Amino acid sequence: MAASLFLTGCEDFLTVVPETQLSSATFFKTQTDFEQAVNAAYAPLRTITNDRAWLLGEMHSDNTYYARNPLFGAVDPQEDLADFSILVSNGTAPNTHILNQWRQDYLIIARANQVLALIDDVEFDATAKGNIKGQALFLRAYAYFELARYFGSVPLHLTPVAVRSESALPLSPEADVYAQIISDLTAAIPILLDKSAQQPGRATSGSARTLLANVYINQKKWSEAEQVLSPVVTGGKYMLMPTYDLAFSENATNKNNVESVFEVQFLEGAAGLQGNFMYQFMPRPISATELQPIMGTSNPQNIDGEGNNIPTPDIIAAYEPGDLRKDVSIGNVFLSGSARSNKNYPYIKKFQSNHSQHNNHGINWPVYRYAEVLLFMAEVLNEQGKTTEAATYLNQVRSRAGLAATTATGQAGLREAIFKERRVELAFENKRWFDIQRTGRIDEIIIPYGQRIVANPVAYYYPEGAVPRPNVFTNLSKFYPYPADESNLSPYF
Amino acid sequence: MIKIRFIGFLLLMLCMGVSSFGQSQSVRGVVSSEGEPVPGALVLVKGTQRGTVTDIDGNYSIDAAPGEILVVSFVGYTTKEVAVVGGQTEINVTLDLSTSDLSEVVVVGYGSQIKKEVTGAIQSVSGKDLQDMPVSSVAQKLQGRLAGVQINQTTGKPGQGMNVRIRGQLSVSGGSQPLYVVDGFPISGDVNSINPDEIQDITVLKDAASTSLYGSRAANGVVMITTKKGVKGQTNVNLNVFTGFQQVPEQGRLEMMNAEEFAQFKKEYYTDAGQPVPEAFQNPAEYRDKNNDWYDAMLQTAPITSYNLTVTSNKERVNTAVIAGIFDQKGVVVNSDYKRYSMRMNTDYAISDKVNIGINLAPNYVVDNTPRTDGTRGTGILFNALHTWPVMPIYDESGELTYFNRFPANTGNIFAYPNWVRSAEEITNETKVFNILGNTYAEWKPIKGLSFKTTFNTEIRNSNYFWFNPSTATANINVAIPTVAVSIRDQEQELTWLNENTVTYGKTVGDHSFQLLAGFSNQQFRRDRTRIQADTYADDRLPTIQGALNINRGGTFSGVDEWTLTSIFSRATYNYKGKYLLTGSIRSDGSSRFGSDNRWGVFPSVSAGWVLSDEEFLKTNSSISFAKLRGSYGITGNNNIGNYTQYALVNNTINVAFGNNVAPGAAVTSLNNSNLGWETTAQFDLGLDLGLWDDRLSFVYDFYTKNTTNLLYAVQIPQESGFTNFNDNIGEIKFWGHEFAVNAIAVNTSNFRWNVNANISFNRNEVISLADGIDRVYGTYHITQVGQPFGQFYGMVKEGNYMNAEDLANSPIIPGRSTVGSIKLKDVNGDGVITYGGDNDDRAIIGNPFPDFVYGFVNNFTFKNWDASITASGSQGNQLYMRHLYSTANLDGVFNMVRKAIDRFRSPEDPGEGIFGTTVGGGNVTGVERDWNNSNFVWDASYFTIRNITVGYTFRNLPKTIQSARLYASGQNMWVFTKYWGGSNPEVSMQNDGNGDGGNLSPGVDLSAYPVPRTITFGANITF
Repeated sequence: MAASLFLTGCEDFLTVVPETQLSSATFFKTQTDFEQAVNAAYAPLRTITNDRAWLLGEMHSDNTYYARNPLFGAVDPQEDLADFSILVSNGTAPNTHILNQWRQDYLIIARANQVLALIDDVEFDATAKGNIKGQALFLRAYAYFELARYFGSVPLHLTPVAVRSESALPLSPEADVYAQIISDLTAAIPILLDKSAQQPGRATSGSARTLLANVYINQKKWSEAEQVLSPVVTGGKYMLMPTYDLAFSENATNKNNVESVFEVQFLEGAAGLQGNFMYQFMPRPISATELQPIMGTSNPQNIDGEGNNIPTPDIIAAYEPGDLRKDVSIGNVFLSGSARSNKNYPYIKKFQSNHSQHNNHGINWPVYRYAEVLLFMAEVLNEQGKTTEAATYLNQVRSRAGLAATTATGQAGLREAIFKERRVELAFENKRWFDIQRTGRIDEIIIPYGQRIVANPVAYYYPEGAVPRPNVFTNLSKFYPYPADESNLSPYF
Repeated sequence: MIKIRFIGFLLLMLCMGVSSFGQSQSVRGVVSSEGEPVPGALVLVKGTQRGTVTDIDGNYSIDAAPGEILVVSFVGYTTKEVAVVGGQTEINVTLDLSTSDLSEVVVVGYGSQIKKEVTGAIQSVSGKDLQDMPVSSVAQKLQGRLAGVQINQTTGKPGQGMNVRIRGQLSVSGGSQPLYVVDGFPISGDVNSINPDEIQDITVLKDAASTSLYGSRAANGVVMITTKKGVKGQTNVNLNVFTGFQQVPEQGRLEMMNAEEFAQFKKEYYTDAGQPVPEAFQNPAEYRDKNNDWYDAMLQTAPITSYNLTVTSNKERVNTAVIAGIFDQKGVVVNSDYKRYSMRMNTDYAISDKVNIGINLAPNYVVDNTPRTDGTRGTGILFNALHTWPVMPIYDESGELTYFNRFPANTGNIFAYPNWVRSAEEITNETKVFNILGNTYAEWKPIKGLSFKTTFNTEIRNSNYFWFNPSTATANINVAIPTVAVSIRDQEQELTWLNENTVTYGKTVGDHSFQLLAGFSNQQFRRDRTRIQADTYADDRLPTIQGALNINRGGTFSGVDEWTLTSIFSRATYNYKGKYLLTGSIRSDGSSRFGSDNRWGVFPSVSAGWVLSDEEFLKTNSSISFAKLRGSYGITGNNNIGNYTQYALVNNTINVAFGNNVAPGAAVTSLNNSNLGWETTAQFDLGLDLGLWDDRLSFVYDFYTKNTTNLLYAVQIPQESGFTNFNDNIGEIKFWGHEFAVNAIAVNTSNFRWNVNANISFNRNEVISLADGIDRVYGTYHITQVGQPFGQFYGMVKEGNYMNAEDLANSPIIPGRSTVGSIKLKDVNGDGVITYGGDNDDRAIIGNPFPDFVYGFVNNFTFKNWDASITASGSQGNQLYMRHLYSTANLDGVFNMVRKAIDRFRSPEDPGEGIFGTTVGGGNVTGVERDWNNSNFVWDASYFTIRNITVGYTFRNLPKTIQSARLYASGQNMWVFTKYWGGSNPEVSMQNDGNGDGGNLSPGVDLSAYPVPRTITFGANITF
């Protein structure tokens, strides 16, 4: 018996395929496979928005800062971002947040590439296929747009990597990256479903248009931006929620509401799809009793360490008197365990929503809201000299905030008004750094901001006696350095 | 001495026939030694095929012509030649006990060989020599005994943590533990679960010629374990019992600050920073009599007991051995213990002269209960206990264990601590393993010298792991009590089967002897695993799954692991007059683990030996009694590359939410490689065996060189690809080394005998290449770099502290972080600033976890009825990465600290010992010293350990029912001599999660593992 087994059954005997995991040989055969594949391409967005984007896009600006806790170490990576003190060596830095942002964006890209490379080999319903392809294109463009804004020139992977030698590519010039983003989004817009037809939470043609408009605005291609954005405004699929607080997902029924153009989906509970960014935004040390009224959970716990993304006095002062958004956006909490004599801290309140378990909430992260579409419209019109028309879009946003129509006049005046409006309307939504960056106002805004911190650290949440590190505000580059760990592995940078 | 008499006897029976000779007369007689008959002795007529074997009373009868010479031999005795004188019909022969073991038979792959004729590098240890040591596992017993084999006990957890490395073999990501072969069956389970009392002897195969018949699994060396059999003609009943206690000696423990010293440190911390001293620390003297030694509170003196009953009988056609054992060890950390109930039944049955069958069955049941003692800060209870403030009370005023400790926030107590004693006592962390090892065989010997053998072996392992963390306890820092109760159930079922079919043929023609072996085999392994994690229990008393409110999706899963292996193999052995020896072997393995385009590997070897002492020019030399030169070359493989590594896997649990719905997501998470294969090791060995003065002094020397290529490595690739790595066979590592072993009978009188056995080994390695474009692989604290030895400690080079403002101004600094008194690091790349991270920063190789040499010796003494032995081993030149310093010397005063930190830098006038820097400046300053790997963590860990001292007394002339009785006292791990100050175990090597030996790429990290206790036992060994 053994002899015959040996002689005849060898290859069969020696072929043992994994039973508890699918392999690439058996996957990518059906519509369902591709639906699942494109779903997985959304997944890194949770990590990005929950853990990184606010560090790179919000705390790296004059909107938020950290609340120094001298007893707590290993906080340099986030402090370096807030303090504009990233030490660059050969164009790279070992900052963990920069590294992870990079990796998560490329994870989206790889998963989208996998879909795009194989989907045309499988026959199924054209509309469904178009919708999947459109989402993959949208996600790839979104990830590249993040990379282009964070790093400028980046490797441009457009097909799945199959062998080791393909894993690193040379840096493509920023312009080529933008060209690819525009091409992807242009292709995605006609094949994506619109908001009324699409499953809530997925990218829609409106999401793609808004993203493309943002891309054009970044490149100051104002008329192209207007052209692509107009249908979003005129299409009737979107409107502002009646009050500002309702714009955020707040509770289960309010997710992906009529103001939502694209938001990152979280789900409270044990499915592993929850967020905890509200906790990450808390000043610390905060006790369970201090945390409970904010989170409303049944099992609040103490949180130690150093608090991040704490609203600065600057952003608090940026709200005009009577702006209803201020109290919605920023709360105040008393920390009995604080080492400061003033134990009151502001915190980001706009995403606040009650949930049941500590460190587990289902609030979606807003990426594009209709309010921003309106402000984009205002900007692209103003930049093309259509100042009056532009003001009407700006005033729609102001009106909901309980503010009178803008008093700004002239193109330059209105430009500044829109810039300020974006700051408060979109506060803590990771827009501020990109706005400062794309308008070329880094030195103008960040240098005095840094001087204010150094002059008065206590106002920026340092305990009495603690001072900012000597190297703060020494690196005001437009782009982040490349992540050192990736640089180690790539021959190209 | 090796005494596989039975097997040797069998083999000799196979190799020669019993035939009669025409004109001869019948000669009979008794073979005896020291007045006792010698059963099973071989009586041969020299130069003929005639021979016989003595019966149970030592009688023999043979046809021999006058003038012919009888050669009488038996394992363990000096061979004697007696001439037959005409007319003489009775010749009684007295054999002398041999001082040499050259005529003994040793187990080799697929058979056994007379030691004298062995051409490979092998070493054997008899189970008898190991039986007194009061430890649970065989690897512990072998420490210090084997040349070229480094055995470290990386944790003191009962039943765990033995790291065995033969000839320094390493792999980047494949396993490095040797292959264990039990009674011919390469096992998949844990060798340490085998009751050492079941072991007759152990043979370690080191060079490629010895191991290559195990093909793709042989590169790490092979350990052959043979279990007990009966002695021909005898029935023996033996009871071996010992009991004793274990404790952790005070000496060698990591010295931490006591409560008063800690309070003083805190006072100075605030004073030096110009901050008000918190009330709690204003008067350190108030803590003088209120010290809380949290580490000591975790420890206890623990009993250890073992019972073994062995019954062997080898009579008529049946040879049986039954061994029943109970081993019960409480741990020296509270609430840890290890119990093993074991049984083994070995039976051989001769159906006829031509057919033998046999079955070995060895069930055992192991219960292992250990708190999660090992691991990094936050997860390892011992680490947590070490760095808990000594001002925090272990017991409350009523003498009860406290629940929770927290000082006011202004004292810098940023972490809350549960009571670690409660953590150890209340958290269940138990593994119950049921094993059955079974071997069956049938052997048919149709004609003289020819044998067909088929074996079927199975190994069944059923493991149940249970973790329950009740709401009242936690193993982590900073978790509020009550916490969320969590249970984990992890069940594994393994089945391995192996079928082997071999044919052997041996023949001697004149001066030429040869033996041929050919065979094929199939082996399959499968493990089914089910893990269930549940939490949020309504009642801690009912940790059932249904008692939980929530099943944790991420922690609940099932899994299957499977591999298959098909092999064909052959060996030819030839010798001329027993002095020119030649062996060649080849094996071909097909494995399910190898890529579909690379399924079969071929592993050949050749070896040769030359017994110089049989040559005329040495025969007359009176000092040299034996000399043999050996040489071998062969290729072996390492197939520990993972079961499904070749496949590109799709993970279909990358789920997402859309609105309030969960949508399944799937993505390719690894890249496939259809060319993936085994790691290849080509090894050359040159050896010399030397016996002097009738083998009173014997000496073995081996030089080896190995090149391991095609290392399995998950080559890191840029994640812009969407993948983290690509599994490939890459690179080359060169190993070389020297091994010396000496055995000397220092004194040999009728009353007093002293035997010394010593060994020393030098193992080296160098990375010759890694993957294309990759010249280094970073570990967390290590680097593996081309041109350097494997796994070197890597980090910043500490030059001292910045002694004053001038020093700071004139030295390279870390912008924004360096201050007077902070750690001063070397500007390795010479760019004027100190940077950490990236390929061109200021890190360098800062230490070596590998020793310059390891050594060991065993002294055995017998004086009349007394016997004694001392076993010791040591390691020289190895260093450890004292990783726990990142907490136990955290200068922010967040944790309790090592006492050495008292003498830290406080001011230019009071710069301290130079080891620890200033506390002023907070984490921005102190974080460099703590969070950047640097040479301050690297310390010499050379050691010399007295492993065992045993003294025994044997009672003879006892009542008829008792043959002999021996009482003994044994002490294990008696003394450790080392300069290492980071903890009591200089052999420690741990991963962050507390598992394993630190992994190949990151050896030698000290995270304060479970201490290895000193054990004192008293035992009795009674033979009926």
